[in-house]
Amino acid sequence: MLKIRRHWRTLIRQSAIALGLLSSAGSYAAISDTASLTPCYTKGLADRLMCGSVKQALSANKSEKISIHFAVIPAIKQVHPTEAIMAFAGGPGQSAIEVAAVFARVLRYAREERDIILVDQRGTGKSTLLQCDMDPLEAQFAFNDDALPIFEYSRDETQKCKNKLNTDLSHFTTVAAASDFEAVRQTLGYQKLHLFGASYGTRIAQEYMRRYPQAVASATLDGVVPMQQSLVAIGDAIDDSLQAIFSDCADNADCRGQYPQLEQQYHTLLTRLEAQPASVQVPHPRTHNAIGLVLTQSKVRSAIRMALYSHATRALVPLAISEAGKGNYLPLVGLMGSDSGFGSLAMGMHSAIVCAEDWPLLTGRTRARFSDSYFGRMMIESLDASCPIWQVEAVGKAFYQPLSTSIPTLLLSGGLDPATPPGWAELAMVNMTNARHLVAEQATHGVAAQSCADKLVAEFINHTEPKELDAGCLEKTAVRRYFMNLNGPAVVSQEP
Amino acid sequence: MMKQINILFKKELLDAYRDKRSVMAGLYYAFGAPIVMCLLFSVLLQQMASPEALKITISGAERAPNLVQYLDSVDISHSDDADAKPIQLEIDTAYQQDMAAGRSATVVIVADKSDSKLIKSVRRLETALLRYNSEVAGLRLVARGIDPGLMRALDVQTQDQATPDAKGGLFLGIVTLSIIIAIFYSAMNLGIDTSAGERERNSLALLLSHPISSVQIVLAKVAAIAAFSILGLTLVLVVSKFAYAMVAWEQLGFSITLDLRFILVSLLIGIPIALMSASMLIFVSFMAKSFKEAQSYVTMVLMVPVGLSMMTSYDIATETIQWLPIAAQQYAMIELIKGNELGLAPLGLASLLTLGLFALFTLLSSRMLTSEKVVFGL
Repeated sequence: MLKIRRHWRTLIRQSAIALGLLSSAGSYAAISDTASLTPCYTKGLADRLMCGSVKQALSANKSEKISIHFAVIPAIKQVHPTEAIMAFAGGPGQSAIEVAAVFARVLRYAREERDIILVDQRGTGKSTLLQCDMDPLEAQFAFNDDALPIFEYSRDETQKCKNKLNTDLSHFTTVAAASDFEAVRQTLGYQKLHLFGASYGTRIAQEYMRRYPQAVASATLDGVVPMQQSLVAIGDAIDDSLQAIFSDCADNADCRGQYPQLEQQYHTLLTRLEAQPASVQVPHPRTHNAIGLVLTQSKVRSAIRMALYSHATRALVPLAISEAGKGNYLPLVGLMGSDSGFGSLAMGMHSAIVCAEDWPLLTGRTRARFSDSYFGRMMIESLDASCPIWQVEAVGKAFYQPLSTSIPTLLLSGGLDPATPPGWAELAMVNMTNARHLVAEQATHGVAAQSCADKLVAEFINHTEPKELDAGCLEKTAVRRYFMNLNGPAVVSQEP
Repeated sequence: MMKQINILFKKELLDAYRDKRSVMAGLYYAFGAPIVMCLLFSVLLQQMASPEALKITISGAERAPNLVQYLDSVDISHSDDADAKPIQLEIDTAYQQDMAAGRSATVVIVADKSDSKLIKSVRRLETALLRYNSEVAGLRLVARGIDPGLMRALDVQTQDQATPDAKGGLFLGIVTLSIIIAIFYSAMNLGIDTSAGERERNSLALLLSHPISSVQIVLAKVAAIAAFSILGLTLVLVVSKFAYAMVAWEQLGFSITLDLRFILVSLLIGIPIALMSASMLIFVSFMAKSFKEAQSYVTMVLMVPVGLSMMTSYDIATETIQWLPIAAQQYAMIELIKGNELGLAPLGLASLLTLGLFALFTLLSSRMLTSEKVVFGL
């Protein structure tokens, strides 16, 4: 979640322009027909869900309708039939229904007494999916992304996807989508919702709270995206999260012994590849056929960046850097080639959001600040190339107001999060009067999935008293020890 | 004829009202059984559940710090105190060397798996170790440039057609068993009292001396007893509805909800059973020579419906048994709680059979009342 993408160059492909202003109060027609529910299943979840859809106008002044699909995970024991939990997926571009298994696991305690509603936000999953064509892995490996100016590459790719989708992305922004969620609530007949947003899902959750406060009983925001800040600020979070590994390794005798001067090794590697990308033959991660890899510094950065999201793959980072320094790129190939399990992001919808909401927010000052980090710099360049092609209408100024609300709100942040660091939640809650921010210092992105926060969320939903929560258990760490060699975290020196 | 039955029916109820203590004893079951069951279930659930923080004994923890740290993150940790479960995790002395060399590192779980209070905790430990195992194994592949997805040659997806209401399994059987039994037990004392009791009080002969047929007498008694059974059934259903809602079934991933529809349908299903039960109680009581003898006979005979019900509860009934009275009705009740379609054929047939038995017992009883041997208990 808030997995902006696997490679920065993939991110470059999508973005769009801001022409006019779309009022955040822009009204999208309410439900027109009542949904009938049919049993359905999703990947990785054996439980029977109930699926349905509502017809929603594509835009306020068009008669064209699109179907918004949703699924309900039934409560184990329906104690509160008038209430439900509504879960918002991340990305932006992730399908909530596709990751139903993740939500069912994270919200398993909360689900004991309430249904969970999952809506495929417009542009994702089954709701008019806006997906761009992705290069196959072989092409991505062989492509030298340092040879072309990013700007040019991003422009071409965006044009290709725009031709394919052939739609006005302005109808797929957060503002446009909020009324779809309300339509689903009304169709299903729940009076009150407990919102659970993860990553980008916290932004759409906040927009929903702003527009339909009477329908919200509580909100849990996990990995918070503040309304008043561009997603491009993520660059610093990535750097900090990686820096935490470097300092941690330097502080640990075993890691320091095995990987001395890790940070320096990393920069040496990047400098070497920047001067001359490494061209090697590697086995395909799945077929084992020999394929060509042009390893550039940007590919290394992206692979390491994606590894920062989970504790398991963080454990491989020192090894991957050290091995690459010695010319063994296989650990990096593994990190680039394994499916991270996040599900594919709908890049068209992703571009609609970032070009309408994040790109217009960039000012001379923030551009300079975000450009301090490598990823910030790359993202700005790619948005500058792609957003003018997409021509998405920018959202109105009101959209960027921090949410003022007295709805009980629980904000969760992970201290090691490479996407939405704790500081972002502090920004988001400036005008919240009944909110509490809990930080799990040793958690990465998505706190509820990796600590006792799943129980805290259930308790919060049951009592909606953010101040009463006992957050002591968040100190428990899910951190793994670093791999000391290819086989695991065992200290190699003990090998006889 | 109806008028006379009606008068007799009222007389039986009046008799019952006058002997409140013994008759009410039957209703105590209907009231108390669901509450006692719920308390038992709650204790059972607590014992079956693994504690939130699972304490076990880990030996050689220093040899596998990463594993111990992982277990701690899923709330399984070492404790020397008495609160530790009798589960031991022994980490092999060669753990580090094996792990580093890419050989399988041995860990041993020592526990008594016959201890039902322990089984959930043992499984939790096994699951955690399996997860750790696949995580490390997956990372070993990643470190070699291989997609760990290769380990999943099959992507097995299960589509469970059951709703949370249908996953109660054995518990559903026990809940419906306690409801069915209430039909029989709540009117047992009354049944014996109106037949064997009346004979012992010498008022049976007096009743027979009136210009009414023995069929009328038996029918009136059956009606009074059945009415009491239905009262007991209503009581057990209402108490169950609230009591079972209090049990924290959701911790085991299911729920048992008795809604209004279930109560109404159960009452309907229960009427033939109540009639059959009442006529059977009278028949058996008249067969006996004395009140005391009637009590022991009735207790024995009631084993039959209880047995049928238990076979359904424990799901050991064969296809044939599922068409028999009591079993079929109880099966229908379970399906109703699960939210499934009712099989009307077996239910209808079983209800007809039940009514047939009611007719048979009534006929036999009224025949018996024409014999002096029975009337005077000779």
